[in-house]
Formats: sequence, structure tokens, C-alpha cells
Amino acid sequence: MSFGSPYLTLPDFTYHRASTVEEVIALLKEHGDEAKVMAGGVGLIAFMKERLMSPAHIIDVKGVEELRQLRYAPGKGLSVGASVTYEELASSEVLKEKYTVLHEAVSRTGDPMIRARATLVGNVCEAIPWIDSAPALISLDASVEIAGARGKRTVPVAGFIRGPVDIDLESDEFVTGIQIPDAVRGTRGAFEKFTGGSEFAVASVAVTLASENKRRRARVVFGSVNSTPVRCTEAEKALEEGEFTQATIRRAAKVAAESVECVSDVLASSEYRKHLVEVVTLQALWRLLQN
Amino acid sequence: MNECVVKVNGQTRRERVKDNVLLLDFLRDKLEVRSVKAACWRGECGLCTVLLNGKLVKSCIVLAVEANGGEVTTVEGITDGSKLAPIQQAFVEHGASQCGFCTPAFVLTCHELLKHNPRPTEREVEEAVSGLVCRCGTYAQIREAIASVSQPPTRAEALQKLGKGVR
Repeated sequence: MSFGSPYLTLPDFTYHRASTVEEVIALLKEHGDEAKVMAGGVGLIAFMKERLMSPAHIIDVKGVEELRQLRYAPGKGLSVGASVTYEELASSEVLKEKYTVLHEAVSRTGDPMIRARATLVGNVCEAIPWIDSAPALISLDASVEIAGARGKRTVPVAGFIRGPVDIDLESDEFVTGIQIPDAVRGTRGAFEKFTGGSEFAVASVAVTLASENKRRRARVVFGSVNSTPVRCTEAEKALEEGEFTQATIRRAAKVAAESVECVSDVLASSEYRKHLVEVVTLQALWRLLQN
Repeated sequence: MNECVVKVNGQTRRERVKDNVLLLDFLRDKLEVRSVKAACWRGECGLCTVLLNGKLVKSCIVLAVEANGGEVTTVEGITDGSKLAPIQQAFVEHGASQCGFCTPAFVLTCHELLKHNPRPTEREVEEAVSGLVCRCGTYAQIREAIASVSQPPTRAEALQKLGKGVR
């Protein structure tokens, strides 16, 4: 009997199960470019089956206790460890109450079995243009926490994702978690996506509205319309001015469709994406207006 | 090669396995658990779904070594060996299987759903099986099978559904 699938097998590699952050760093220092860090493995295993990646070493970080933490501290915010799964995030009350936009994005990603394995950090590190979490994180001003042989550093998610499958990470570094600032009282958020039937978005939007010194502050970030998430400051301005009414949200959605740069690909033309930008923005803002 | 010790359906199995072997292939080819079906190998169709340490996962995107020291339950593990579980009986009665290829994954997933949520709404059922693909399209019968095993709402729940005004 043959052992192994007739196709879509994995290339050869050595599996390491780390139990401390120091151990991960030591393994990365030793194997560098040859190694990949794995938490849920959902993206990495798929990439390896397609031979888009063939690391000689895989470092599993699920056994590192501190990377499994999902912690909220008033004033400091939410910290999501590298092995925190989508399922844990989707069932988190703190997320539901304080970080609605992220809660909606993670609850609508994949299916229950995928969410049981996939991690937020892993998803962000894939930097695939159609991920749902990145626009939500950018709308919350979240940052990526990185550890390596030369110490720790923090990078905003918006700058961390440089392009499709291109992140600001050296070969001897790895992402330990994501930090999201504490939401001010009354912060509201909504996530919407248009999928056209599959589970992947053709266009998505993450909106966060907060009050700052009696002023409304808006963040509007689009996903799946270009190679990286696109923040739309024009739409944000439209939302920050005057009363928050039906007329305001209609104007903001129109401004977004006019100013957001959309690509054409096999799923949709740029014109159609611009239309979808207006639709998803209206859907997200309409819900915020009603709540 | 690593030694991989996994408790499968209550029985401890010990095998040597290469680091790059998927849990799916380990279960099917090495341990000969053939109810775990291999179809897409991409984590899309969900027909290789098993319970790993109490969580439903697609075994084609999990490494066998990750299950080392853990527990795997497949559809064989939900009965006591002599009598079908209620959801299995319901699948039979409602013809929810057709070709039967996806059935183990659907039965296992629905069994888990009903264990944690004995009265799922239609939406919750849809969400629970959203990661599974039935190519014959027996979704309607599967829905009927789940509904037949699902417990009826209590009086209090029924009243709550009718609205707050009802006492």
C-alpha cells in the first residue's frame, strides 16, 4: 500500500515544536531563510502543497504558552498572541463589545473548521489581498509585534503589509502578536464584504467610528479591491463633517467609489469593484446609522 | 521520522511517521481509518473532517505530527459499536446520504453541532456545515435529518420567540 497522497503532498521538511519564544528565535537564527514559523498552518500548508514555498524547517509555535494569550487591559487595549485562532476571537465577548469591526470580520472568515485552526497573526502574515482581517485591523490602528535575535519592534499593520505576500519581516524574525489600542467609549464599527458566492471577498470594507474631543473620527479601509488594503481618507473626511445622517453616508459611499483605486482581475473589473465599494460602504454605514 | 502516538476513537495507536505527512494520509493509509475521505486536499471540501482534541478540523491541512500525544475522533467514534447514534439513524431515515462519500464528515459535524447546541436554528445549522461540500446536493435531506434529532424548544423559549408581551 502506498503511503502518502497521489498528489498535493508536502515537500520534505524537519518539524520543530518550540515551547518558548527564545527557542523560536534560536531556531530562526540557526535556519533563517530555510525556516518558516507555523501556528495554524492553514495558509502555510496550502502554499507548500502548491510548492510556492518549500521550507526545510517548520517551527510550530502552538506550544509556546505566551503566544496563546488573548488579553484585554483597560487603557492598554487588546493583545492577540500569534497562536490565537479565529474561533477564539469570534467567541470573545471583548471583541464583540469593544472591537465590533474585527469581530464581524473574523466571524465571517472561512468556515468553522478553518476558524478552529487559522490564526489572526498567520492570516496577516500571509498578506493575501483578499483577507478580511487586515482592513479591520488597520481601521483600529493595530500594530504587529515582532521578535528576533536583535530584539523586539512594533510596526503598524498598514505598513507591515507591503504588497501581496510581502511583509516587513526579516528571516530571523517572527510575529509574536498583534496589539490593538483600547477603543474609546462609544466606538462603533462594522465590516461588510461582497463575495459573489465563494467565501473570498471581491470587495470588503471596515469602518470604525470613534469620538475624540467631541469630534467624530472615522476610519474607512477597503480590502480585496487592490493588492494591499486601501485606506480612504476622503470618505473618512466626509464622515467626520456635520451630522451623521443618511445624506452623509450616501455622500461618503460616493466619495469612496470615486477615490479608491480598484484593480481588474478574473473576479471583477475595476469599474464593477468601484460599484461594489459604494455598495459595501453603504451597507456598513447603514448598520452603524441604525444602531 | 518521528514516533506519533495518537488516541484514535479511544484506541492508542503508535506509528513512525515522516514530518511532512498529513493527518489525513496518516489516518487513511497508515491507520486504515477509511471513513475519513480524501477529496480536495486543500481544506475546501471538508470531507476529511475529524475531531482533533475535541475540535472539528480538516485533516488535510493538519500535520500528523501535530496530533502526536492527542486524541482523534472519526465518525466511527460517536457510536458505542452496537447501535447507531441518533443523528446516524436520522441520516438513514431521511435519505441524507445519496452516494455516501461526504456522509462521514456531515454526520460527525452534525453530531458535534447537536452535542453543543441541541436546538440549532436553521442559520446555525447552515453555518455549522458551511465548510462541507455535498456534490449530490442532499442538503435538503441533511437539514431534515438534523431537524428530526434537534430537540423541540421549551415552553419558555417558545414564549420568548412570540415576543415579550406574552406571559
